This record gives sequence, structure tokens and C-alpha cells, in this order.
Amino acid sequence: MVHLNCGAASHVGLVRSANQDAYLASSPVFVVADGMGGHQGGEVASAIVVEEFARLVADGFDATDGIGAVARVLAIAQERIAKHVVEQQADGTGYYAGTTVAAALLCADQEGPKWLLANLGDSRIYKVHQGRFEQVSVDHSVVQELVESGTIDAAAAATHPERHVITRALSAAGRTDPDYFLLPLASAERLLICSDGVSGMVDGDTLGALIREVPDPRDAAEAVVAAALRGGGEDNATAIVVDVVGWSESDSQARRSEPVSLEEKLGALP
Amino acid sequence: MSENSTSFHAGDWFGIVGAKVQVYLPPSEKPRVAGLWELVDAGADFDEVLDALISGGLRALPAFALLSVDGDAARVVLRGAVSAEFTVAADVVTLDGRDAATWLEQSLSSVSQARLLLQEVEEAVVGLLPGGLVRVAQVDHPAVVEVVALGAGAPLDLSAQSIPEAPVADAGTPYFDAAVAAAPQVVAPPEPVEEPVPAAEPVAPPAEEAEPVDALSAPATEESDWIAAPQPVADPEATDVMPAITDDGPDLMPPLPGALGAAAVPLPDVPPLPPMPEPPLPRNPVPGFPDLPEDEAPAAPASWGPPAEAQPPAGSDHDGQTVTGNWDSSQFQRQHPGIPGQPPAPSVTAQPVARLLFSSGDVVDVDRAILIGRAPEARRFTSTEQPRLVTVPSPNQEISSTHLEVRPGSGADHGTAVVSDLGSTNGTVLVLPGLAPETLQPGVPAQLLPGSVIDLGDGLTIQVTSP
Repeated sequence: MVHLNCGAASHVGLVRSANQDAYLASSPVFVVADGMGGHQGGEVASAIVVEEFARLVADGFDATDGIGAVARVLAIAQERIAKHVVEQQADGTGYYAGTTVAAALLCADQEGPKWLLANLGDSRIYKVHQGRFEQVSVDHSVVQELVESGTIDAAAAATHPERHVITRALSAAGRTDPDYFLLPLASAERLLICSDGVSGMVDGDTLGALIREVPDPRDAAEAVVAAALRGGGEDNATAIVVDVVGWSESDSQARRSEPVSLEEKLGALP
Repeated sequence: MSENSTSFHAGDWFGIVGAKVQVYLPPSEKPRVAGLWELVDAGADFDEVLDALISGGLRALPAFALLSVDGDAARVVLRGAVSAEFTVAADVVTLDGRDAATWLEQSLSSVSQARLLLQEVEEAVVGLLPGGLVRVAQVDHPAVVEVVALGAGAPLDLSAQSIPEAPVADAGTPYFDAAVAAAPQVVAPPEPVEEPVPAAEPVAPPAEEAEPVDALSAPATEESDWIAAPQPVADPEATDVMPAITDDGPDLMPPLPGALGAAAVPLPDVPPLPPMPEPPLPRNPVPGFPDLPEDEAPAAPASWGPPAEAQPPAGSDHDGQTVTGNWDSSQFQRQHPGIPGQPPAPSVTAQPVARLLFSSGDVVDVDRAILIGRAPEARRFTSTEQPRLVTVPSPNQEISSTHLEVRPGSGADHGTAVVSDLGSTNGTVLVLPGLAPETLQPGVPAQLLPGSVIDLGDGLTIQVTSP
């Protein structure tokens, strides 16, 4: 029995007028979607993805075929986005709706429970293992491609003028296949899923320090978003923090490590 | 081999001595002996015998020694509690099978003496190894004569006794009793061993690097040549009573003919055999990975993944900072490993190309990428790839979390499995059948043949078999 604790936070930021980020933190599925597109196209796209993942949680899915589940969700979401775009384009041109997807699902293979991560775009998934903070997902972005081809280094990537240009997204057209990652549960005590409004505003060391040092995942998610605002808040900032608090055969063991209730935490209970 | 004499101490180990190779097995492996004799007597070469030895799995064979001596070149494989000493020029090279988790292999040249230590020597009896099956404790090549009382003196090399022409049996020592030596302690040899064969099949290929430097090193077609050679030793030839021939270098053991007590028969006009090809050097066969410039290339083992083909979505937008843009998608095209112009092997094959037998007990068929480690992670794969993770125990943490990848090969490796070390901390050793163990270069795939053994350290090995 695996037990997960999570916290999530999202903020429109200090510059944007609308929050196009959407997220789902509903064990065993955790998703951050960063929408793109004017005239609410971005909000619609990210909302559609989150809705479809929520439907997956409600309907349940085969934990041994997490990739199949994610692929079906994305296909349905893409179809809905495409339909939406067609409707909107009827009264104008140049309407675009797309979204990044960064998802973590608790799945299983022959050996037991695993984290299945899926990434499309430049939202990010980090993990903490034995005190080490590490980015797992690889951005689908122009600068990432340039880094990988050796054209620029990581430092130059952080300030590159095209650093926000992504090469894959879930939208009506273009490349919409995600990268998948499979991690043993034991190799990620904590996951951070965030939009680029976080990773672009807070440098890796600061982010790592926050994530390692704040014990409660709810506090950690809030702290990360707050740091993004302190760093400039130029974009919507969303973060989900998920802790694997125990995975044991019995429920009772897992419950012991459950955090204090929200009421307790806020002081409503002694 | 065995152009020159070999002497032995009686013991419990089985010695299977053929014309080309000698195999030594511990007493527990008696059931294998007859079968191996068949093979060895039929003239199987080193690699064939090695294949046969490990065909039942390496774990089933706790110890063995496999030796071939060819002129002054020796090749030896040791596994388990056996050791060997080679005198190479002025140095003594000592090898111990216990130093390797799988086996230790060594090819040596300029060897003047070889000794295999199989077990404690209890009996002073020294016999000449005639070929066939014998029970032995220690083997010396060329033959040595030891003082009766063990420990009473160092082995006495026959060559020091200047018995150039005489066969060893004539060495004036009581231990070389021709009767004993002719077929001493032969354990029910399936076939008669002592069948002196006239000089029909010259077996000893010349050491190819040996170049005549003076008259002594000229081809041993004249008796005087080998008489004057530095280490004249008798050669009780085994199944083929064949003297060594031709252009031995000055420090090569001189050829002496055949059966014990037989007169030394110089062999004029025996044509030199063509030089043996060097055993193929262990290399990472990576024909499928020609000069990949992109990040799919071996240099980036952790980022194997789909070709990331950049495709701009329909438009770009600037609400929010994340935008999609217009760019040349070919700019980011990545190449799949494989032969250009040929379709890459599918990431998941219909039929497994190999089976992996883990010493930890797992049995895994290779029909997709298999990632092996202490806590393996699969990164950046597509929905059609779906690698399999295999977690292996590593009590001393010597195995890296994602240590190794085995996957179906593409291009020239199509139909076989290839293994890549994924930049592990302590490395991976690959033993291809018949070849010396090699340390894998991180990210450079090597082809796996059935019979290969992969050693990840921490006592964990993976045997590769056919599916």
C-alpha cells in the first residue's frame, strides 16, 4: 500500500492578467498544465487536460498500463482542444490553444509500484532522492535542443531570448507525443511538478533548497510559488509537491506517517 | 599445443589433454570429463572447448583451467581456485582464478615456462603428461623434474641438464619412468591415447611474432638447431606425436618428438603452418553505431529516446511567456542508431533476441530495452518503447542505480542483443565467449552473443543465452 501526501499552489503572478495554468493533485494522479494562446485559448486547453486527467482518476485505470492511460487521456484532450479551436476560428483567424503537460502517475510494473512521469513541453518534474534535488523531465524547448546539440551551455540557456519557445505541446496540430519516465518509488521521496513560471523565476539551487527543507508538502508548494513571485512573478506559477510517505503492505503503517490534519495545522484543533 | 613436454604431479583434478588444448576440472566435475575428452580429442580449438565448458552455465562450473601452449605463446583461462605461473622473459606472471568473478583470461607471448597449480601437491610423483585423461594436482610445461622430497629443492628444469637430444625419459632421473609416464594414471580414457602418429599433422604453428635472430632461431628443421636451443626438453607428444616445427624464436621451447622414450625425430621439411590468427581482440562491436553526431549517440546514454522532432504548432502566441515558435524542424532532427538508410530495429521486438539469466535469480527475455541497476530508472522513452526495469540486489552499493542497458540490436546487430554501460560508477565487465574480459566503455554498445557473461560487480552476473 503506497501512501502519498501532496500539496499544490498556483498564482497568476505579478504581470499576467489571467492564470492559464491548471493543475490536478488527486492521488494517484498529479498534473500541471501550462496553457498557451490568447483569447482564453490557453486557459481552455490547460483546463481540458486537467479535466480529462480528473476523469481518469474518477474512472480508474489499469496501474500496469499507465502509459496507455496517459496516451488515451492526451488523445481525448487533444481532440477536445482541436474542436474548440475550430469553433473559435469560425469567427476569426489565428486562434491558438495549446498546453504543456507534466504528469506523474502512481503505476506498477512487474516489480511493484513505480512513478510514471509524462512530459510534453517545458513544465518540469523534479525529484528529491536522499537529499538530492534533480530535474527528471527534459524540456521540449528550443534552448534545450540547443543545449543538447552543444550549441549553448546551460547558463546561456537561462537567458536565451528564445527560452520560452517550446517545441512540443498538446494542441490541435504539431507534435503531441510526450516523453515518458519510469522511476522506482524508492528513488523519489518527493516530486515537484511545476510550470515554467516557477522554474524560470527561481534558480535551481534555490528551488532545491526550498524543496528539501520544507517538510510539509503543502507548505513546500506554497513556498515554491512564493519564491517565484519574489523572483519577479513574470508568469503564472504553479507547483505540486508529492511525498511518498510510506509504502508498506499494511494500511496502518502508512497512516501513522500521515501529516497533521488541515484543521490541526491551521490551529482549529489543539 | 603440447609440442613440448608437460609434466605433472598426480592429484585429484582431471586433466584432459589434447593436441591443441588442455582442460583441467576439479574432482567434482567428473561427469563432464568424458564429453570434454571427446571434444578435445577431436581437435576442438580453445574457443570451442571454452564454449562447451560454459554451455551449461558458468555458475554450474565452480572452477576450471583451460590452457593452450603454442610455441612460446600461451593462452589460459582460469576460474575459481586455480592459479598459474608463467615465466615470460625474466619475469614470472602469476594468475589466480579467484581474482575474477567470472574467469580470468590471459594471452601471453614469449613464455618459457608455464605451471598450473590446481591443488596442493601431495605426491612427489612426476610423470610426463601423455595426453588423454589424467588425475593431476600440478602441471608444468615444459616438463620439470623435482626432487623427491617435496620442498627439498626448487624444481629443476630439465633444460638445465643439457639433454638436448635425449627425450625426457632419458634424463637420468628415476621419476621419469617410461612406463609411468606413458600412460600414468590415465582414467579410463575413452580412446587410446598413445598412438604415435607419424609426422602427419604438424600441430604447432609457429609463434608468428618470432623472427629468426640468429642461426639458433632458424627453422628447426635440423637437429642441431634445436639441440642448441636454450631449453631443450623432451616432448612426449600426446595424441599426435608431433614435434614442434619450424621457426621457433631463440627462446622458444625446442621441439622434441613424441612418445616417451622415442628417439627424437627431427622433422625436416615440415612446412610451417600459417601463423595462427591472433585471437580477436575484445572490442565493442558497434557496427550499428557509426559516428552518430547527435545526442542519440553513445556519448549520451542517459538520454536515449525518441527522435525529438521539433514541429511548430499552428501558431505562436505570447500570452504568458511560454510560446511556440517558428523554426526549422530539421534543425533538431535526431538520428536513430543504426545503419543510415536502413530502418532501425524496432524498440520492442516480436520475438526476444536473447535471454538474460541473473545470478540473483531473475530470468528476463530481451524483447525491448532492459534497464538494470540497483534502482533503475527509464528516462525519456516513447509510448511504443516501454522499457523494462530490472532491480538487482547490491548489498555493497557497488552497482549504480541505473547501471546497464540491454536492448535488441539494430543495424548490423539486428537479431542480437547489445549491452551498454550507462556511465556506472564502478563499470561493467563483459566476457564474450572465448575472449578476455573487457570493461565496457560507458555508452558504447557491445554485441552480446549467447554464452556471454556480464559482470556488474557486487557478485552479480548476468548470463546471456538464446531465448
